Amino acid sequence: MKLNDQEKRMLSGEEGAGARKAMEILIAKGEAEGAEKMVNISYAHLMPADTMFFPYGRQGEWSRELTGSLTEGVTHLKVPTTMEPKFCDLEKAAHKMEFSNDTIEEMKSIMNPASKYFENLGVIPSYTALPFTIYPTKFGQHVSIAESIAILWANTVFGSRCERDDGVTSLAAAITGVYPEIGAHLQKNRYAEVVIRPANNVDIASFNYTDWDAYSLAASRKCKEKTPVFLGLPKELSFTQMKHLLEVIAVESGLAIMHIVGLTPEANTLEEALGNKKPVEEYEITKSDIEESYQIATTATENPVNYVFLGCPHVTLPEFRIIAETLENKKVHPDVTLIVSTNRYYMLTAKDMGYVDVIEKAGGTVVQDMCIAFSGTQATGTIATDSIKAAFFYTGFSSDSNRKVRLGDIQKCIEASINGKWNERS
Amino acid sequence: MKEKVIKGKTIKKLGIIEGEAVVSKDLVAFWGGTNWETGEIVEVGHQAKGKNMAGKILVCPAGKGGAGDTFGYYYLYKSKKAPKAIVCNRAQGTTLAGALLTNTPMVYAFDDNVVNIIEDGDQITVDSDNGKVTIRRK
Repeated sequence: MKLNDQEKRMLSGEEGAGARKAMEILIAKGEAEGAEKMVNISYAHLMPADTMFFPYGRQGEWSRELTGSLTEGVTHLKVPTTMEPKFCDLEKAAHKMEFSNDTIEEMKSIMNPASKYFENLGVIPSYTALPFTIYPTKFGQHVSIAESIAILWANTVFGSRCERDDGVTSLAAAITGVYPEIGAHLQKNRYAEVVIRPANNVDIASFNYTDWDAYSLAASRKCKEKTPVFLGLPKELSFTQMKHLLEVIAVESGLAIMHIVGLTPEANTLEEALGNKKPVEEYEITKSDIEESYQIATTATENPVNYVFLGCPHVTLPEFRIIAETLENKKVHPDVTLIVSTNRYYMLTAKDMGYVDVIEKAGGTVVQDMCIAFSGTQATGTIATDSIKAAFFYTGFSSDSNRKVRLGDIQKCIEASINGKWNERS
Repeated sequence: MKEKVIKGKTIKKLGIIEGEAVVSKDLVAFWGGTNWETGEIVEVGHQAKGKNMAGKILVCPAGKGGAGDTFGYYYLYKSKKAPKAIVCNRAQGTTLAGALLTNTPMVYAFDDNVVNIIEDGDQITVDSDNGKVTIRRK
């Protein structure tokens, strides 16, 4: 790879051991994929192991050591940077999710100094998998992101250029400000290969939010690793609908980019999305495909529900409204733990709107800055969720897991929290 | 005893490593798909479910997984259950970063599909300086 003087300086260790290691990682990645040069990035989103990735026990110790070795000698990051949610809210949520006091103390000793460290380094304390609500990037900008839905959003909605990055690579990119010119950073790798459209018997206008998850899972099972273009979706898709549509395929398919005709800046027409080539394959999503998605994610066979976990990714304001309206003047069943997880920005507004008050009065817990998908994986029993992404993390879609999942839209989940059991028919 | 030599690329020059092959025909996830405390592949429905990569030479098409998969590889290494080397078709990003972090030799991009020509139990020599793999079968 051809490096410029500044890149060479970082590789030589002149900017510290962390910057050298970061350059080594980015160069090896570039050479493995035939990159000729680095490009300058304008933004990064981090997933530090010691704030987010199960920061307790042996792996917690190692995560601290890992961040230490990657950031040795690093005094600042080269680009504006946001970061993932922390693992868990230790004050309000952890003790309700089957973490022992000892584990909570361990998490406190690892997670808290780690988030302080990254904040001091200048990271914007976004603590969300929806960082694009706080730092939207622009068409054509190169970025490095370690969060599947945010990668897909950057490429698909903004037309920014981002590969499927991980927690180590995105930190390396933030430290150096560069990224090898590979994958979705190159125009030739951005075109769609397969077409996905709704079958005639699918009424998109009647979809609740979770139906978009089901549509998304069905699409990812058809297109697998091929880049899809979605045809026949309304131009009026809302932010929250898109959150649900992108969240599942992002984690299931490993894609960096998908196209939605009429919405993706590079897909004004089907032909543009396909780069004027013929699609490799065309798929229809049928009503039975959507029902199958629900069956795949549902592993519970009994009706009683122990947990209702909402907010993977973080609950948005329209979702808050549904939760509050359904819970108003009701009580969460004594056998159920209801946790609603959002980011600190939506939390402020949700408080202003009175939503948080309604949920807390009913006996639910509202938290910010945490990942309910990762931290929910210690709970045992049956979890109700409105998110197929969360369902995947809770059980891997396997009935062998210690926890079982009930999947349904957000209103149905809240009704289950009131009744203490899932209502199959509603 | 048959011997075959194949030539590909290397991610880093880390010398010569010998060991026994463990082959996965499916992509390997190191977080969730592999138990980092034992080295066993545990993913439901995976072709190599139940096989153990600890101390062996892992042969697979490529790694796979989400943004945390590099951490999974790192934890596998820290618990001393990582493979000694990785022989694969494609140097997928998260696995490549994990191998680099832990100085695990990784060779890739051969003319042949490695999972079709290497079998469980084959004795393998990985020359990570030259991207060369020697396969010996009893």
